[in-house]
Amino acid sequence: MKRTLIGWGILVLGIPCVIFIGLLTGQYAPAAFGVALLSCVPFYLRFENRKVRARELTLIAALTAISVGSRAAFALFPHFKPVAAIVILAALYLGGEAGFLIGSFSAVLSNFLFGQGPWTPFQMFGWGVIGLLAGALKKPLKKYWWGLLPLYGIFAGALYSAVMDSWTALFTGGGGFDLNRYLAVLLTSFPTTVVYMVSNVVFLLAFYIPMNKILSRMITKYGLYES
Amino acid sequence: MKAFGEFHPAALMMYFVGVVLVAMFTLHPVLLALALTGGICFCALLEPAGRFVKDLGFYAGVFLLIAVTNPIFSHNGVTPLFFMNGNPVTLEAILCGLAVAGMLVAVMYWFKCYNHIMTSEKFLYLFGRAVPKLALVISMAMRFLPRFHSQMKRVSAAQKAMGLYAGKGLTDRARFGFRVLAATVTWSLENAVDTADSMKARGYGLPGRSSSSLFRFTGRDGGFLAVTGLLLASVLIGLILGGGAFAFYPRVSFVSTAPLSLTVYFSYGVLCFAPFIIELEESLRWKYLQSRI
Repeated sequence: MKRTLIGWGILVLGIPCVIFIGLLTGQYAPAAFGVALLSCVPFYLRFENRKVRARELTLIAALTAISVGSRAAFALFPHFKPVAAIVILAALYLGGEAGFLIGSFSAVLSNFLFGQGPWTPFQMFGWGVIGLLAGALKKPLKKYWWGLLPLYGIFAGALYSAVMDSWTALFTGGGGFDLNRYLAVLLTSFPTTVVYMVSNVVFLLAFYIPMNKILSRMITKYGLYES
Repeated sequence: MKAFGEFHPAALMMYFVGVVLVAMFTLHPVLLALALTGGICFCALLEPAGRFVKDLGFYAGVFLLIAVTNPIFSHNGVTPLFFMNGNPVTLEAILCGLAVAGMLVAVMYWFKCYNHIMTSEKFLYLFGRAVPKLALVISMAMRFLPRFHSQMKRVSAAQKAMGLYAGKGLTDRARFGFRVLAATVTWSLENAVDTADSMKARGYGLPGRSSSSLFRFTGRDGGFLAVTGLLLASVLIGLILGGGAFAFYPRVSFVSTAPLSLTVYFSYGVLCFAPFIIELEESLRWKYLQSRI
C-alpha cells in the first residue's frame, strides 16, 4: 500500500517536479537524468508490491545473467551486443513487466562490470522500454516473427540510440537542450545506430528458434506463467 | 588502503549523491574546479598509477573535444573572436564549453570513485531493505553469472569429449558455439526453477524472517554523516540564496567574492577533498606506524 502510494506520488508529483526544476534552472541534463531514473521506479515498486512467486524471481535473475553475460562475451565488438535481442525474446514469453525488469537490471548489472556513470539511468530506461513494448506486442510478434521481429529489432535499435543520444546531447550541451546539437549527435552516431539495428536483427533471427524451443518447453514443463 | 570506504554505506551514498548532484546542477567555475580536482585527487589514490595516468589522458581528450564543440553549436555571447562559416565564435561560448567539459569530466571521475567505493554488496545492502525482491533478483543474477560461465566451460568440454568439437571452418565453429550456448541457457533456466523450488521449501516469503549484515553504524559514521550533512546543507542553502550564481551569456559574469559565495566555495571544497584527505591521512599513518626495525 505504502509502496503503491510512493509509486503514484513519483509519477504524479516527482517527475513533473524534476521537469519543473529543470526548466526553472535551465539545467536539462540532470533533470533528464532524474526523469529517466524516476520513470523506472514505479515499475520496480509495482513488482515489489505484487505477490511474486519464487520462480518468477529466479527466472528473471537467470535471464538477466544471460543478457549481462552476452554483453560481456561481445565486449570486443563495440555496440554489437545481443542484450536488446535477449530482452525482447524474454519479454515475448514472460511478459512486458518481466521484460522491463530484465532490460533495466541488465543495464545496472552490466555496468558494475563496465562502469556506472550518468548514462546508467538512460540505459536502464532504454532497454526497459524495449522489453516493455515487446511484451505488449508479444502476440503479433510471435505469430509473424519472421517479418515483425526484425522490424521490431530495427525499431528497438533506433529507440535505444535516440535515448542514448539524448544523453550525449544533454550532457555535452551544458545542460541546455539544443535541437541542432541533438540532430548533429544523431547524425554522427548514425553508424552506431545501424550497428545496433543490425545486431538486433541478427541476434533476434538467430536466437528466436532456439529460444522459442527452450522457453516454450520450460513453460510447459514447469507450468509457468499460466493465466 | 580504503579508509574512506570503511564508512557506513548509507553515509557514503548520501555523500556521493550530494557531491555529484551539486556538480551536475552547477556551471560555476569555482565549484566545478573544486569537484574536478577533488575527484581526480581521490581517484589517484584509489587506482593503480599506470591506469590512472592512462585514464587521465583519455579524459583530457574528452575534455578538449567537448570544450571545442560547444562554440560550433552556440553563438550566444557578445565577444566574437572570429567568424567561421559566417557564424561568430564567441569567447563566452568557449568558456561555457570549458565549464561544461569540466562538469562532465568531474561527474565521470566521481562515478569512477563511486565504483571503487560503493561495491555491489554495499549497494545491495542499501536497497535490500527498501526493495527486498529487486535486491534479491540483482544479487541472484550476480551469482548466476560465474555459474553460467563455468557451466559453459563444462558443456563445451563434454561436447568435445563426445567428439563434437569444432573444426576449422567458421560455420562449424559458430554451430559449436551455438550448441554450447543453447545447452547452457536451458541449464541455467532449469537451474533457476530448481533454485526457486529450494527457496520455497526453505520458507522464502514467510513472515518473521530476519537477516544479518556486516555493516554497523558506529559513532564514526554518525560524525561523518553529520559533517557531510552540514556541509551539504550550507552548500545548498548558499546556492538557493544565490551564492553560486554565474552566467556565461550574454556576458561572462565575475566570480563573486561575497561572504555568502565564499561560504559555498569553502563548504563544497571541504566536501570534495574530504575523501582525499581521509585516504591520505590513513596511508601516511600506515607508513608512519610501520616498524623500522
